[in-house]
Amino acid sequence: MIKKLFYFVLMLVLLAGCSTAKTQGTDGKVVLKLLMEQVPDSDIVKKMTKDFNKENPNIKIDIEMLSYDQIRDKLVSSFLAPKSSYDIIVVDNPWMYDFASAGYLEPLDKRIKNAKNYDFEDFSAPLRKIATVKGKVYGIPFYNYATGVIYRKDEFEQNNIAVPKTLDELQAAAKKLTKDNHYGIASQPQKGYKILEEWSNWLFAAGGEIQDNQGNIKLDSPEAREALSKYIETYKSSAPPNSSNWAFDEAMRSVSSGQSAMTLNYNWMLPTLNNKTGPAGDLAGKFDLAEVPGGKAALGAWYWSIPAKTTHKDEVWKFINWITSSKQEVNRVILGGAPVRNSAMDNPKVWEKGYGESYYKTLKNILEDAEPLAEGPNAEETIQVIGTELNAAVNGQKSVDQAIKDAAAKAKETLKK
Amino acid sequence: MIKKNDLGRRRSFFLFSYKWRMVMPLLILMFVILAYPLAYSLWISFKNFSIVNPNQDHFVFLDQYKKIFVDSLYWTVFRNTIIFVIVAVSFELFFGMLIALSLKRQIRMTDVTRSIILAPMFITPIAVGLMFKFLLSQQLGFIPALLQSLGISINFFGTHTALITLAFIDVWQWTPFMVLMLLAGLESLPEEPFEAAYVDGASKWKTFWNITLPLMQPIIIVAVLIRALDGLKVFEYVYAITRGGPGNATETLQYHIYKLGFGYYRLSEASAVAWTVVIIIMIVIIAMLRGQMKGEKAR
Repeated sequence: MIKKLFYFVLMLVLLAGCSTAKTQGTDGKVVLKLLMEQVPDSDIVKKMTKDFNKENPNIKIDIEMLSYDQIRDKLVSSFLAPKSSYDIIVVDNPWMYDFASAGYLEPLDKRIKNAKNYDFEDFSAPLRKIATVKGKVYGIPFYNYATGVIYRKDEFEQNNIAVPKTLDELQAAAKKLTKDNHYGIASQPQKGYKILEEWSNWLFAAGGEIQDNQGNIKLDSPEAREALSKYIETYKSSAPPNSSNWAFDEAMRSVSSGQSAMTLNYNWMLPTLNNKTGPAGDLAGKFDLAEVPGGKAALGAWYWSIPAKTTHKDEVWKFINWITSSKQEVNRVILGGAPVRNSAMDNPKVWEKGYGESYYKTLKNILEDAEPLAEGPNAEETIQVIGTELNAAVNGQKSVDQAIKDAAAKAKETLKK
Repeated sequence: MIKKNDLGRRRSFFLFSYKWRMVMPLLILMFVILAYPLAYSLWISFKNFSIVNPNQDHFVFLDQYKKIFVDSLYWTVFRNTIIFVIVAVSFELFFGMLIALSLKRQIRMTDVTRSIILAPMFITPIAVGLMFKFLLSQQLGFIPALLQSLGISINFFGTHTALITLAFIDVWQWTPFMVLMLLAGLESLPEEPFEAAYVDGASKWKTFWNITLPLMQPIIIVAVLIRALDGLKVFEYVYAITRGGPGNATETLQYHIYKLGFGYYRLSEASAVAWTVVIIIMIVIIAMLRGQMKGEKAR
């Protein structure tokens, strides 16, 4: 019996040994587990880790890539565990406030200050603002997904249409470009995040806002009603039929197949569309990017953060510091990453090896005046409840007036939760 | 004196009798994977725990439940789920019975047709969801393209159609289950009543209505119960295709719980909703089983 007990204990020790052996490799290397979303920008980082290892042979980066929904579930469960299962994480902007204020993320101010040749002010200002929660910085910008108008240059020229600067011009352009089985704009009215991301551009253009500077919900306004009425009008007259559940993939397909002439979408779609071997095929090269009407765009961004419970904070910072340094930012952007540093967008080397001067200049302008969909506590839920009401209005379940009223009321309620 | 059992070991060492020791591994497993999580979810449903507010973790007793019952969204979600179950299960029963009756008369190649008919059951629901997402997609889908060539345009995921579309995906996947259950039942029915009806010259419809159905009742109840309970936990189709949209038209209880717990991090509220589902399911099961037992006694 004692012998059996001995084997049992031995087995437990071995099992425990397995789980700790992971972070400290047998060859003395520190293994950092990195959780990322399965997107092209992550692939670029994966390529770059080879260069990082040349400079830091003692740190091994182990990247796990998952889909958007999965990484959030994994992050949340990892925060609740006694020891973080990940050492480096990426955080989407609506999660930043909640994660930071719950104490799940490590404040980075001191590390930023002590880092050599590290110009934090060089990151586009709206991006830095999101990363700052209650006066402390919790994330370093990784890549942006601000919105712009992606349109077919050739079609706009043929029809003598200028790039729309106001909502009315946008509506008129979309209408003019709609004929037969060809549509002016590929809308993305899918419930939740997607519709709010698209519609907020309309709201900003109409002069409305979702939250004021103090974070109060300001959605219940005539501007919001105007923006939603116009959005629905254009969806009905100029978007492909039965597209009320469309999101990014569908809009991208619609534009790349030539079905639609424009879309309000992530700026980094342009290089993909203009890629000769990309999804647009023969249409590649005919697309261009412009600022959204009114000039104020919906902003989204991903951030590098350090979970508060990881044991290898110094090594993690070494990596974050390296990948977000001005030098590596240039390399990352040339490889196709979405820029976050002004210096990279102003760099002639980037223009030449990347996607041309005009793209980066437009992008810099977009980023300068851009705002996230929701800030403060429960941002994720706020976005979802507003997006649900908007979608209900597009589908005719609610009137514009009712939808805006409900959205504002529910968003206010959510903030208090 | 130390008592020894048959195996010559000291009894006091094991504490439990032989039969308890044999079921112990199972009991421990059941406790760890079933009882503990269940009890824990009940426990946190009385608190106000939220992942993003780890400091706020108080005992609020029934507040979560009170909040749920005045939440109009909860009732919308509840209604959606019930409609989904009723539509899906009644069509499954109808088609299932039809197919089972015709399969029963088949003589040759029964194994081949049966295995083909059962195929949809063996696909994971999330894959079925994605499959139909693309089949019904306005852009890439085969079905809208086919309808378009006939001059018909249907928005499968519109306000009034989305929930029904999801229910029919369920019908596609789970009618085979009904067929399986009903066919087994039909084949086990006694021959004599049918022979008697045939001799008496009863029509086929009358035979079905007066003999087959009453004899099949217990099996139908079990099959409907299993499918209804399965239908109550529909999640994959909603998650893969509509995400609860348009508006809240296809948000079901399970998706709602997922959204509250993992989307909005409010674990207590999610647990409370989950427990309302548990209670509903228990009521449904008890009611149906009681009905069945009464029916058996009456016979």
